[in-house]
Amino acid sequence: MNGPFPSLVLDRVGMVFPAASGSARTVLDGVDLSLHAGQCLALVGRSGSGKTTLLHLAAGIAVPTSGRVLIDGEDLGGMTENARTRLRRDRIGIVFQFFHLLPHLNVAENVALPGWIDGRPGGGLEKRVGELLDRVGLADRSRDPVGRLSGGEMQRVALCRALLNKPSLLLADEPTGSLDDRTGQVILDLLLEMAEAERCALLLVTHSLTVAARAERIFELHDGRLRQDPGVPS
Amino acid sequence: MIRVLGHGLLGLVREGRTLLLLTVVGVSLGVGSVVAIQTLNQGALQAFGGSVRAVSGQADLTVLGTVPTIDPALLPRVLADPAVRDAWPLCRLDAALADGSGDLIQIVGFDVFAPVRYPLTRQLDETGSAADPGDLVAAAMAVPGWCAVTPHLAASHGWAVGDTVPVSSGSRLARLVIGALVDFQRYEPLAPVNIAVMDVAQAQALLARPDAIHQIDIVLAGDEDPGTAAARLQRNLGPGVRVLTPEQRAEDAAGLLAAFRLNLTALSLISVFVGLFLVLASVQASLVRRRREFGVLRVLGMQPRQVLVLILAEAGVLGLLGVAIGIPTGFRIALWNVETVSATLTSIYVLEEISRLVLTPTVIIIGTAVGLGGALCGAVLPALDMSRRGVVELLSPLTMHEGARRTAVPLALLAVAAMTAGLLWFVAAGGGNRYAGFILGFVMLIGLPLLVPGVIRAAGAPLRPRGLGWVLSLRNLTIRLRTSSFAVAALAVTISMMVGITLLVGSFRQTLVTWLDVTIRADVYVSTESWIRAGNEAFLDAELLTALGGRPDVQAVETQRRLRVSTADGRHRVWLSGIAFSAVPGVTLASRLPLYAGDPEAVAGRLLASEAVVIGEPLARKAGLGPGDDLVLAGPDGPVSLPIAGVAFDYTSEAGTAFTTLETFGRHFRSDQPNNAALFLQPGADPDAVVAELQRTHRGRPLVFRSNATLRREVLAIFDQTFAVTRTLQTMALFIAACGLALAQLIQVRERAGELALFRALGATRAQISRMFLGEGLAMAGLGLALGLGGGAGLAALLILVINREWFGWTIRPDVPLGALALEVAVILGAALAAGIYPAWKSGLSSPAQLSRDDL
Repeated sequence: MNGPFPSLVLDRVGMVFPAASGSARTVLDGVDLSLHAGQCLALVGRSGSGKTTLLHLAAGIAVPTSGRVLIDGEDLGGMTENARTRLRRDRIGIVFQFFHLLPHLNVAENVALPGWIDGRPGGGLEKRVGELLDRVGLADRSRDPVGRLSGGEMQRVALCRALLNKPSLLLADEPTGSLDDRTGQVILDLLLEMAEAERCALLLVTHSLTVAARAERIFELHDGRLRQDPGVPS
Repeated sequence: MIRVLGHGLLGLVREGRTLLLLTVVGVSLGVGSVVAIQTLNQGALQAFGGSVRAVSGQADLTVLGTVPTIDPALLPRVLADPAVRDAWPLCRLDAALADGSGDLIQIVGFDVFAPVRYPLTRQLDETGSAADPGDLVAAAMAVPGWCAVTPHLAASHGWAVGDTVPVSSGSRLARLVIGALVDFQRYEPLAPVNIAVMDVAQAQALLARPDAIHQIDIVLAGDEDPGTAAARLQRNLGPGVRVLTPEQRAEDAAGLLAAFRLNLTALSLISVFVGLFLVLASVQASLVRRRREFGVLRVLGMQPRQVLVLILAEAGVLGLLGVAIGIPTGFRIALWNVETVSATLTSIYVLEEISRLVLTPTVIIIGTAVGLGGALCGAVLPALDMSRRGVVELLSPLTMHEGARRTAVPLALLAVAAMTAGLLWFVAAGGGNRYAGFILGFVMLIGLPLLVPGVIRAAGAPLRPRGLGWVLSLRNLTIRLRTSSFAVAALAVTISMMVGITLLVGSFRQTLVTWLDVTIRADVYVSTESWIRAGNEAFLDAELLTALGGRPDVQAVETQRRLRVSTADGRHRVWLSGIAFSAVPGVTLASRLPLYAGDPEAVAGRLLASEAVVIGEPLARKAGLGPGDDLVLAGPDGPVSLPIAGVAFDYTSEAGTAFTTLETFGRHFRSDQPNNAALFLQPGADPDAVVAELQRTHRGRPLVFRSNATLRREVLAIFDQTFAVTRTLQTMALFIAACGLALAQLIQVRERAGELALFRALGATRAQISRMFLGEGLAMAGLGLALGLGGGAGLAALLILVINREWFGWTIRPDVPLGALALEVAVILGAALAAGIYPAWKSGLSSPAQLSRDDL
């Protein structure tokens, strides 16, 4: 959806986890963020800084302990878990670092999976799957088992899967983290290109400032707070 | 090693409680079914043995007649034998309580001056208000109808010492007086509770004939070998009696019940077989959970052999847990079923009812061996497999399933080869082997599970899913082939057993109905309350028969005398009937003969014109007799040879039956006094109205009048009761298989945590995930059902055409009871659905946040 609202808004979002000792651990503290369709934002930070937590909040997988998360203007806080799940299915695409393709399904079936979950009819779904695979150069591999693909090819399949339902928000969690530099570069190009072509907002989570540099804006997560434009390598 | 084992078991308790519970429940039910059946089997034999010991506990030998009564003149001849120290007569008969309860009691008339104090009489010396035991003996002889009964029997009927109890034997009524309450079980724990002891002369006078003796008990002098003495006595006393040791009598009962016991044992072992799959699946689950742990242990230097021992030890602990729960459960199940089994023993086999069940050390050992052995057998394959795997494989869950996929086709081929070989062997060499049917059945039951991986693969692999529907569910089974195969195989074996038995019972019932149509042709049947057990000597009096024949609404009366005899070689027990056939207009004798071999007209002609006999099919098969042969029976005066005119279908007794005319019967077996009668009414007469009128007319007499329809209903009720324990076994096996399904799905929830988390991350709701799992459960049930129906049809063919004929001697016409099968299928699918609910719910709990780097 490319309406008047930002694709993603984090409004003073806080996340506190109970710790084993009984005290609380603050992971996110008053985080504000707004991301519009067609924009790309990179989120960097050290391990354990809360990047994954922020991604989970943006995907509606978790709800913040304070503040609001809005997708296309809809507040996830007021939604049931089922409603958040449906919203994730319809408006959010996720690309994982480790691809998470189902090894027993072939390329086309992996891409079609969100459509199956959505209960979309076969004809339109197949057409969309074919179109996406064509754009990433894997049209001729659609019947191949995913086990025969290289890492870069697997991530391309994962990208197609994430874009299948034409999401307004694309979340990419270390999308090049499992790939060599060259392949990573190719995937990154493809990710940015397709996000733009599909007119969706892209939240790129990475620990690499080089990757982050490709985004329009960069935020660093540090001590639970967001800091814009940390030092970017040339 | 011990620490690692302890850690593994603790892990199972902490992280896999449901898996542990399902496995232990499965094993315990398997053990339970074996324990229940063995307890009932032993109970049946012990009941007979207990009765023998209670009555003849100190006797070295017992003389029994080839017909129920013994010539009293034999007693002096027994006493004249130099090896006999003493001998005394017993009059034994079954009487019905004439209080409307229909209960039967065993009357034992004994010689109060018998020189032994065996369990039955020992307490007589110690009981009663009389200070002097001699007073008790005097009372036993002097008070008309005096008897001693067990406190249990007295309590169950509200009797007290001094009460008068009306009883009947045949159409004779007598009054017993409760003279003493004697706890026979105090001296012989397995003594029957429904026993009444009285003076032999009183028993003869009140309920039998004045000189009726049914048994002579003998105590030998000195060190005479009982076998030698028995052989000499047998020679001296002639062929009209059998001289037996108590052990031989117990063996007789064991022989009578051999087929019944064997079939129940075989059925209970199927539950164990199904339980074995649960152990397999459970060990598999444990290995999935701990594969990384094993990988790390292997890296750290653990030997494959140590891995093997570790896994087997864990399975052994599971087996012992199953044994600990299964043995008491099985005993409880035996207690629940004792009434129906006991009723079968008394109504079909005319043996003692089981008054008490004991959990014997033998049964405990069998149960422990089955549980522990089954658990270790179930674990050995996955344990061997796991111990041989390399570290890399151990760290990759799917490689195990890939291995299963690779072996699916070879296993299926092996199954087909084994089944074909089994079938060929059976056709070529199985004919002379009584156990051939069981062996073939065992091969089929082993082959069926081996087919399963191949069948699942063939069913699921070519399918291309187009959504989260049943195609994906079926496809998912092929992916986790190892886990799904166990569950489907367990279910397929269970359904085979259930369907096989349902087809057998349905076919048997339909055959019985058809047979009843031919044989039960009279309108009203007359017998006595004590007839069921005391058929030998429950007579109808002549006045009654005259009265019945004189009724204007009665067209003809047929009477029957039935007697339990043996073939002259002692190998077969035969219920011999003598029938006074009547000419009934429109109902020829030929049309009433359900002949298996012989021309009806010719057989009827020979039966009426000569001393011919028609034998039942079981006797023909077991004794190898047919038309043209002679049936040689042990008669009271020596062997009686009767030419066989024909062989009739007969379902009244697996032991053997034969019938001839009452005239022929009386000529050879002395008595032609009938036990029951059949009335053919005039056209237009209402049988129910006649029965009601007869009941009114003979109120107070121990007579039973049944219309044709009532008799059929009662016969079918006894038939259904006979299979009640089978249904319990079926239910237990289904429960085990349902546990297997639940177990397999829970394992899959665990194995597929990453996949489910991905589904959730991609937007699948909890309900969608749960539905997918339910779909997979139903897909497994569907495959199990398809295979089970096929296996069940094969098993039914084997049971009906081979095992049944070989062991029971009955021809059963195959019939498909569609209603019963449809109900069974619905129950199976319902059980599968119920088994899938918890795993489905559990699967829906997965969170997308659980996705980790190596989940898929």
